[in-house]
Amino acid sequence: MALVDPDFAAELKAYGVDTALDCFNCGTCAAICPLNFEHFPRKMIRYVQVGAKQKILQQAQDLWRCLHCGLCTRTCPRQANPGELILGLRRYVLAQFRRA
Amino acid sequence: MFNPTDIIDLLAANVRQTRNPFGVRPSRFNTWWRGLSGFTRRPGDALLFTGLMYQAIPYINATTRYLERLEGSSWAGCLRWGRLVPASLRGRGLSVLTSGADRKKFNGILQTICRLLRQSEVNFFYHPEMDFYSGILLYDLGDQDGFVRHARFVARTLQLHGVRKVITVDPHTTYALKELYPRYTGASFEVQPYFSLLQCRGSERGNGKPPVVLHDPCFYGRYLELSEGPRRVLRDLGLEYVEVRNCGEFTSCCGGPAESVSPALNREILGRRAAELKAAAAPVVTFCPICLANLLKAGLPVEDLASLVGRYLAPEEK
Repeated sequence: MALVDPDFAAELKAYGVDTALDCFNCGTCAAICPLNFEHFPRKMIRYVQVGAKQKILQQAQDLWRCLHCGLCTRTCPRQANPGELILGLRRYVLAQFRRA
Repeated sequence: MFNPTDIIDLLAANVRQTRNPFGVRPSRFNTWWRGLSGFTRRPGDALLFTGLMYQAIPYINATTRYLERLEGSSWAGCLRWGRLVPASLRGRGLSVLTSGADRKKFNGILQTICRLLRQSEVNFFYHPEMDFYSGILLYDLGDQDGFVRHARFVARTLQLHGVRKVITVDPHTTYALKELYPRYTGASFEVQPYFSLLQCRGSERGNGKPPVVLHDPCFYGRYLELSEGPRRVLRDLGLEYVEVRNCGEFTSCCGGPAESVSPALNREILGRRAAELKAAAAPVVTFCPICLANLLKAGLPVEDLASLVGRYLAPEEK
């Protein structure tokens, strides 16, 4: 069972993640991502939307698979900027790890 | 895959101590300009800012060779202790592992860029004490604090020297200076990649030569939308080029960004891009040192845009 934190998306704004709620989960980003890896980055964005903070922290290492190539951002129909969102999540996770 | 925080902490410590991610002293690292004829420090209109990326490739190659062996082994976790070794020792060790031929090759590309700019009568200068690593890897890996601290130092140094215009040679440094520095340091410079300043019109020395295939780096193709610049240079020279399906703003990544945290992932992505380029059956030309080093690793016949253009426009003096 995973606990959800409804304020997670708001907390992430301090790390530059402010478009997560614009995403409507169409999956274009996961389809075009060269990683072909477990619905990345859509899965991570969904976790942010539902406030699954623990899921993000458990799967944190996967965030660094992202190549920051920008294909997802270029093709996102909602301009939700998935690439920058992943970058913001890296900042958040790194800050949590360093704090710990 | 390595633990990203081990890698980030090591790179951040190196940048803090030596201003570059390898822990190598700048005097050892940035040597391409030594002995270059017609070299000018000042006066000049724009600073040639290499961002130390071409100089870094031999060090990246040496590091990746060792990371490839470590990844997935029981020794991988030892990386976290690397930051306890003084940066000067880390850097010295890495310097010993780099290949002299590699250093000569990548320094040679910068020398060619210098010759091309002179040939095009661009009013520029170079000063090694003003040329720094941009910090882009820290930004990409999520170490925002480390990046901002370093970027502020670089921006302040350039401002103190009255630098307003900057000529860049690679997409990562161009992106950092053009987009990230104004956002995170408040310092704005007029940034232009070297190829946008080259004057080749009328030379048409490439007529009749076999075509080349272009590999666009992600940062020029998508983030900066500057893919047209190198094409204009090739057209002006009369050189034919072939486009692969994934080009320009929809170019495929070479896998370079994964190199530091997972050489295996880097190989996987590189293999796919190499196959796309190979299908075009022509020598590959790119304009990013990271892409160049990666595609060379895949065994493709590849050269830098500057080397190709230099052969026609500004051949090396013997």
